[in-house]
Amino acid sequence: MPSYKLYYFNGRGRAEVARLIFAAAGEKYEDVRYERDQWPAHKAEMPLGQMPVLEVDGVKLPQSLSIARFLAKQFHLAGKDNFEQAQVDAVVDTIYDCLTKYVPIRFETDEAKKEELTKKFLAEELPKHLQNFETLGKLYGKGGHFFVGKQLTWADLLFFDVGAIILQVDSNAFNNHAWLKQNRAEVEKQPKIAEYLKNRPQTQF
Amino acid sequence: MPSYKLTYFNGRGRAEVSRLIFAAAGQKYEDVRYEFDQWPAHKAEMLLGQMPVLEVDGVKLPQSAAIARFLAKQFHLAGKDNFEQAKVDAAVDTIYDIYKTWAPSRFGEDPVKKEALSKKFFGEELPKQLQNLETLGKLYGNGGHFFVGNQLTWADLFFHTITETLLGINADCLNNFPWLKDNRAEVEKQPKIAEYLKNRPRTEL
Repeated sequence: MPSYKLYYFNGRGRAEVARLIFAAAGEKYEDVRYERDQWPAHKAEMPLGQMPVLEVDGVKLPQSLSIARFLAKQFHLAGKDNFEQAQVDAVVDTIYDCLTKYVPIRFETDEAKKEELTKKFLAEELPKHLQNFETLGKLYGKGGHFFVGKQLTWADLLFFDVGAIILQVDSNAFNNHAWLKQNRAEVEKQPKIAEYLKNRPQTQF
Repeated sequence: MPSYKLTYFNGRGRAEVSRLIFAAAGQKYEDVRYEFDQWPAHKAEMLLGQMPVLEVDGVKLPQSAAIARFLAKQFHLAGKDNFEQAKVDAAVDTIYDIYKTWAPSRFGEDPVKKEALSKKFFGEELPKQLQNLETLGKLYGNGGHFFVGNQLTWADLFFHTITETLLGINADCLNNFPWLKDNRAEVEKQPKIAEYLKNRPRTEL
């Protein structure tokens, strides 16, 4: 059994999907969290000077999605064959495309500009992405509630995490998307996930 | 043996890594290319209104990275176990970060702004990112010329196609990175790749 150590800031951010995978699998790991003022002292320890980093038996792996995909495959949450894994990867990339569009808006410092950009994102950008998520869920989900193949995969865990960010921006975002609401509800119902969500640190990001 | 159909614009862009994977594997596929003026008529046929799309025995898969990873796994060009595949994924993500940093300098609308972005990219940002890539190659490459595990993987093919475009703009951009230059040379020496590179359509992007 390999030893796992995950390094990130003290927040959900780009590491949370990996933490959700560990939780869903019931797997132990060392959850290292650096506060902002601790980070400069550790930056040089990371292969690309960035986090998250996963250390597996002492070997470091950067890049949040590669980390998550590796863990999902280790714990059978990635799809049951090569083509299903590709479908899961496609859903993940599509979710990530939406997040990528929103991130610069989130970090906009001019409040008036941020409000205008957020309005525009919600009205013009987000609906297309939500439609895309439903399209893939209906194509690959085999009539079930999960994105791919009628079972929980890391695509559902990522959507749960990113969905929380979207709902923070607009709590009504999924009102016209029953399938997406149901998908998140199914993730929350998983006993190990429910337990994890109840106990995880509450952080700003 | 599944049937494969790859649909994209008539260019390298986001599909070329997949074409290189097919070539390296000696695998036949239908290589559908649309000119820009043909694209609007076909947009609605594509799963998310985007290309590339891979069709495997009639089932559509979007998202260029998911497509490439699937094909690499099918043809044993993805890394030989789960952790090696994760290292390959991390290298790919790091290469992709280069593309994402470069893209605004090429695809924006303001020519003056683009010129400034291009100077900044080639002068400041690219060298740092190439340094990061060399770090990964030395960490995962087992002392060889390939990014991971002393054998060709799709990370090497992806690096080749992304840098093809960059070298077309700035022929000297790899001069301070001999390991990366050697890596490209190793890819070009592979007989099936050499043959493919000699015969493929010449396009700007």
